[in-house]
Amino acid sequence: MFMVSLLQWWYFRGWGVFANGLKQKLRDSADFFSISQLLRTLFKPFRQISANTSEEMAGSKMAAFFDRLVSRIVGFFTRTFIIIFGSIAIILEALLGVIFIVLWPVAPLIIIVGISMTIMGVTL
Amino acid sequence: MVLQFHYNSLRAREARAGKVLGKKPVLFLCFFLAIAFLSGGIALLVMKSAFAWICFSAGIFIAMIIYYTKKELIPVPARHGNTSTNPSTTAEVVGLADINDVLSNDVMANLPKNPKPLDLAKMVQHTNSGQFLAVRYGIGTKLLTELAKTLPEDTTSIFQTAVKIYQGTNSEEIHGAIIAVSIISNFPANENLLKQMKLEMADLLDGIIWFNYLNGLVKGVTKMVHSGGIARDMNFGYIPTLQRFGQNISNISKGHMKTQLHLVEHKDIVSQIVQIFSNDGRQNVALIGAEGSGRSTIIHAFAEQLMDADSKLPSNLKFRQIFKLDAAAILSAASERGQIEGLLMHIMDEAYNAKNIIIWLDNAQLFFEDGTGSIDISNVILPILEAGRLRMILTMDKQKFLEISARKSVLTNTLNKIMVPPANEEETMKVMQDQVPVLEFQHKVSYTIWALKEAYHLSERYVHDLEMPGRAVSLLDAAGDYALPNHLVTAESVQQAVEKTEGVKIQQAADTESRSKLLNMEELIHQRMIDQQEAVKTVSDALRRAAAGVRNENRPIGTFLFLGPTGVGKTELAKAVSEVYFDGEKNIIRLDLNEFVSPDDVARLIADGTEDEMSLTAQVMKQPFSVVLLDEIEKAHPQVLTTLLQLLDEGILRDAKGREVSFRDTIVVATSNAGAEKIREQVMSGNSLSSYKEQFLNELMQSGEFKPEFLNRFDEICLFKPLSPTDCLQVLDLILKGVNKTLAPQKITIILDDNAKQLLVERGYDPQLGARPMKRIVQKSVENLVAKFLLSGSVGAGATINVTREMLESELGNVN
Repeated sequence: MFMVSLLQWWYFRGWGVFANGLKQKLRDSADFFSISQLLRTLFKPFRQISANTSEEMAGSKMAAFFDRLVSRIVGFFTRTFIIIFGSIAIILEALLGVIFIVLWPVAPLIIIVGISMTIMGVTL
Repeated sequence: MVLQFHYNSLRAREARAGKVLGKKPVLFLCFFLAIAFLSGGIALLVMKSAFAWICFSAGIFIAMIIYYTKKELIPVPARHGNTSTNPSTTAEVVGLADINDVLSNDVMANLPKNPKPLDLAKMVQHTNSGQFLAVRYGIGTKLLTELAKTLPEDTTSIFQTAVKIYQGTNSEEIHGAIIAVSIISNFPANENLLKQMKLEMADLLDGIIWFNYLNGLVKGVTKMVHSGGIARDMNFGYIPTLQRFGQNISNISKGHMKTQLHLVEHKDIVSQIVQIFSNDGRQNVALIGAEGSGRSTIIHAFAEQLMDADSKLPSNLKFRQIFKLDAAAILSAASERGQIEGLLMHIMDEAYNAKNIIIWLDNAQLFFEDGTGSIDISNVILPILEAGRLRMILTMDKQKFLEISARKSVLTNTLNKIMVPPANEEETMKVMQDQVPVLEFQHKVSYTIWALKEAYHLSERYVHDLEMPGRAVSLLDAAGDYALPNHLVTAESVQQAVEKTEGVKIQQAADTESRSKLLNMEELIHQRMIDQQEAVKTVSDALRRAAAGVRNENRPIGTFLFLGPTGVGKTELAKAVSEVYFDGEKNIIRLDLNEFVSPDDVARLIADGTEDEMSLTAQVMKQPFSVVLLDEIEKAHPQVLTTLLQLLDEGILRDAKGREVSFRDTIVVATSNAGAEKIREQVMSGNSLSSYKEQFLNELMQSGEFKPEFLNRFDEICLFKPLSPTDCLQVLDLILKGVNKTLAPQKITIILDDNAKQLLVERGYDPQLGARPMKRIVQKSVENLVAKFLLSGSVGAGATINVTREMLESELGNVN
């Protein structure tokens, strides 16, 4: 009876549950790497690091400009790195998930195949 | 509609399987086996063994079981989509075809085949919700099994009621608590049963909703929080100084329980804050409300909304972090005004440059007035508020806000004010129910529903420094320290907490001794005062009615006006009432209203305890179970009397700080000599006072001594007649009893013969002053005489002094 319940679930609700779980995991990863946010702010100064601009002197203004420029460059590289790393991670996770979804209906069959292979004495 | 439990349904089978497989040791063993088989498979594969494949098969099979168990079996989800084509045997049951679709996991896992009501009752204890109901509402297995034994064998009606409750409480499934309430509901005499438990059916339904709510919270805790990810703060600046002097309340993580707003007004306030900060206007919000009204909760809920990536907020608000500035830390870090201003400017500058900070000035008055622990730096804050470039939230007490408004109208006009109203009873109960898991975790106890109800009612009366719901929650928190040995917090725990934390005595007239005292009140009072039968009876009757619950709970226990000449026992009766009703003469708060003769004296009447601890409100706050004796009330200024009207009418008085002080546990006695001459004339002419009372009161009102609206506020008006010489003889006996009591430690007794007593009455009786001179005459004669005997050594311990008329004559002769 238990096997019947398990297989019934596996081929109906279980498949959907796994797909939903994958969807949720991908959403969590997207939130963690926040790629859309990184893209929107790609050229923004990193952590607002810049000299105080309230001074009226030209020298200070120039220093602030260069500070901000450096801050933007640092920000650009940091964000780009995270975007690349995050994208690879999300793509890999999605690929792995899709493979599992595709293999999902095969899983119970693998058991039967495995038992058969042992009976047949198949080795590498 | 199927209203029978199907033991062999798929959900029931899954539930039973889940009960076994869901146990931690079993799951752990499965994990271990799965890993062992898969690892073994790899090893055998390397060793070129055909058994590798069967190992892989076993590993995959166990992994499938684990996934199935975790995702489906614990718990087995309800099947809500399964609706009936021909719904219901009852009108209410619509959209549900089979009860087996919505029975909870733990209900199905613990029910036998063809269950009887007794099986249902026994099953309840094995469910989480059943245990919840048992602990909080005292509905345990013993009670349920007793009730189930009286019910018919068929469970259809129990399940039918359960479905109604399930739908009425908007539950996700029919769990153990619903079955328990359904069993009670099917018990014919359920109303009487619940009354004995001081409960109503509505309380139980509320308990189900409470369980559902907590269950939902627990499920929510395990969910992943989307809060912006690693890139969230990259655009925003560093804030080292702000981090030192402020507290980031926006830090939320997995496992954090979301702040719930139970008041509609609070939800509206959060929307208003969002609106204000989304627009281009002044970027500040001032939440004005008493402490405890939920100002901080609103801000925490707002902070969580800001950090929730899934919330629908404008992008210019998302991921903004709220920092609560700590005034004490700032003041301790910089000693001089200039330094403090400099530090604050630096903090504000940092917050502005960071671009993602909302500053919260909690108890903002600390930044706008000079004093201990506060400093007026409005000159720094005002320009920031006016410029509106840095978002700020200020929280302030209403009274303080009014005070600051009077002094700095420019500042308060710059603020976007939002009033935070206090919660009502229903809302406060919901807030307490929400807070119970946190308090239970902190105190390692369990709270009963009676504790929550008692916390609301007692805090309403005795906790003055906070507003609802904070005042009830604070009392509930304090009650956690007074749990019973079984770790249950009950109504008694709350009473103890009030007694210990607020210093008030919660008295109950339920015990036998108190009842007996009330029943024999006249007798007890007459042990210490003579005559005035009518007044004593009137007061006793009124107090008995009050103790039996036949009284308006929103007024003092009793309000009495005693009218009559001086020295006839008015004050004595008040003292006697205090002794009998409140177990002690010390529970009397006495105010001589001849000291309240100008309009300015109203302020003294309601002064804050820190300024005048002898003010009426301060004394009643400290000692709410008291007789409030307002002596010579006719001499008080009309404005003082007007202030007292609210006290007599509603049982509350607002003190100088605007706090409601409850007089609902006091007995208010006002005394007056007004019209004393007329009373004396009536008695001298042999007329009865009771027949004269109405005319007398009319005369008092016509003469303007008392206004009708004032006299009408009293429960009873008692006229005291002048004492006769015979009465004075009895008063003398009471005084002599007192003298003997004083001499008791020296083992000396005095006895006066009748002639001696007669002499004292002749000399001491004064129709104008009543019994008052009697005390003086006893002092001058008897006490002086005894003192001389003692000093001369003519009497020793164990002696009895027989005092004769002659002895007193010689003593009084010397005096006069």
